[in-house]
Amino acid sequence: MSPVKDQYRYRLFLCFLALFATLSPIAAASFGAANISFNDVLQALMQHLPWQESAQSSGITERIVFELRFPRIVLAFIAGAGLALAGSVLQTVTRNPLADPYLFGISSGASFGAVLVFSFLSSGLFDQIQVTAMSSGRLDWWSWQNLLLPVGAFAGACLSVLLVLSLSGLGRSSQVERMLLSGVATSFLFGALTSLLLYFSNPQATASVLFWSLGSFAKANWVGVILPSVIVLGSLAVIVVFKRQIVALQAGDETAHTLGVNVAKLRLNMLLLCSLITAVLVASCGGIGFVGLMIPHCVRLLFPGRQPMIVTAIVGGLFMVWIDVVARCVLGNQELPVGIITAAIGSVFFLFILRHRR
Amino acid sequence: MSSSIDAVIVTSHSDNLALSVNGISWHVDDAAILADISFALHKKQMLGVIGPNGAGKSSLLRCLYRYITPTHGQIRLFDQDINQFSAKAFATQVAVVQQDTLQFFDMNTSQLVAMGLTPHKGMFDGHTTADNQLINDAIQKVGLTDKAFLQYSQLSGGEKQRALIARAIVQRPKLLILDEPTNHLDIRYQIQILELVKSLGITVIASIHDLNLASAMCDTLVLLNKGQLVAQGTPSAVLTEAQIGEVFEVCCEVKPHPQHAKPLVNYFYGYMSQPLPHSPYKPSPKAEQHSSLCDIEVQS
Repeated sequence: MSPVKDQYRYRLFLCFLALFATLSPIAAASFGAANISFNDVLQALMQHLPWQESAQSSGITERIVFELRFPRIVLAFIAGAGLALAGSVLQTVTRNPLADPYLFGISSGASFGAVLVFSFLSSGLFDQIQVTAMSSGRLDWWSWQNLLLPVGAFAGACLSVLLVLSLSGLGRSSQVERMLLSGVATSFLFGALTSLLLYFSNPQATASVLFWSLGSFAKANWVGVILPSVIVLGSLAVIVVFKRQIVALQAGDETAHTLGVNVAKLRLNMLLLCSLITAVLVASCGGIGFVGLMIPHCVRLLFPGRQPMIVTAIVGGLFMVWIDVVARCVLGNQELPVGIITAAIGSVFFLFILRHRR
Repeated sequence: MSSSIDAVIVTSHSDNLALSVNGISWHVDDAAILADISFALHKKQMLGVIGPNGAGKSSLLRCLYRYITPTHGQIRLFDQDINQFSAKAFATQVAVVQQDTLQFFDMNTSQLVAMGLTPHKGMFDGHTTADNQLINDAIQKVGLTDKAFLQYSQLSGGEKQRALIARAIVQRPKLLILDEPTNHLDIRYQIQILELVKSLGITVIASIHDLNLASAMCDTLVLLNKGQLVAQGTPSAVLTEAQIGEVFEVCCEVKPHPQHAKPLVNYFYGYMSQPLPHSPYKPSPKAEQHSSLCDIEVQS
């Protein structure tokens, strides 16, 4: 392909992406159980603009849009962007096309943490605290669970990262291989522990864990969106700053070394950064597979050699926003877990792209 | 000790020296891969590292570009210990073209060459028009302008090697290290690549298998065998019939090259017709006799 044509195509894609990214939140907010049209959303949005004195607010439509749908869309976008970004960086710094954000057993570690929380809750160990909390009228059983679950998941994810790092050491020699293998081992270890706990817990806990592990944005609220947003945007900034070094690592450890990159340190820091992104996301919306693995590949297939980090993040985010729309709408009375749809739609889409690039 | 003598020599000429290597050794599990190697290289000269397979050529070069740390000894670059450079500062001084770089790589030539900018860029530095000029000039210098937007994987062996050299040019080093840059190349590219490198006007260190190429191109040579430095100096001092016979275990005749009068090595053949010989050899002056090309002194 000629460079001019390639450049032209890339610019065109960027324009299209920008337009799509602007319209997507509004369009996505008009889908859901309550019947709200695109115009309603637009109207609600206009009334909430800061220079508008919002006297006649708190209509039911606006409340649905602003308190339910927008936080959900933002969380979906942040989750998709973060997972795609983490996947892209991990695939580059490990030079392994199969690397994904759950490389370090993060997902299984988080599941283990979540199951542990469920088991404690259902075993009655916390009953006393629960009763106290509930009698004060602030917390019911479900919100209590919703509060503890992310904490447990985050702790489990961190534990698995620490375990992988202590297994693989910090040296440069065969760092990648040791990390990948330790990641696999850690995954299986936590998988086994999770299964063991589930085997001895009640069906209600098992169902909750299953639903959680497939991912959902249903519990999104404005407060819960803050931490993931800060982490993902901050990480994006760091990754963009170190992009040259990350790209150099793709050419091999020795080449990167001769280009002035501190290989072991850069890779370790990037792995920790991606782990942080993933752990925060897993804690706030469960384990959503596939996005982190496939979105970077799709972008790379479309634009070989460019490594556009920001574009990857935006594509991942938009993908997730629309997947969540499907999750809300495909069954009339019930939501599908996002993870199922990402895997189903994503793999077909990926096969389509793969075939057309031949 | 020899190292103290070297140190004296080094300080007396240090302002003209690009590199001085003082008694470096590298051990892996008590096996000495490199043993007490010392040499010095003047600025803007081309040094050839020669020796048989497994002699330690690549290990020596890796020590020079800090990929491995020698067990003993010191390496000074422009009169400064190489360990005192930061990773980034070192990469602005020394560029490396490796023996085989990766097979899978989804960059085009221009993107690969642009990687040479890495050590020159701070955290928030973007890609400027001056950078593009630098990249285009480097690509033109190695004659790849019409392949600048071809995928790296689609280039031929010689073109890949030239693209890597273009990357090194963009890196703007004062010392260029090449690990067997002529491997897998036909004779035209072998000559072309080394002449290209020489024309850059910087200090060059290259490991070279072809002794005649090394003789023709290099100002000085370092001959390694089993991790030891066997000989160093001008091509005529290093490439003698006796030393080639001893290190490479082949016999040959060395004459001045008709064009540049540096040593020209002619090898003799037919080793399988005799029991596999052990050194030392002595090349026969009557080598043109068809049956026995080499007089072999069998040690008792």
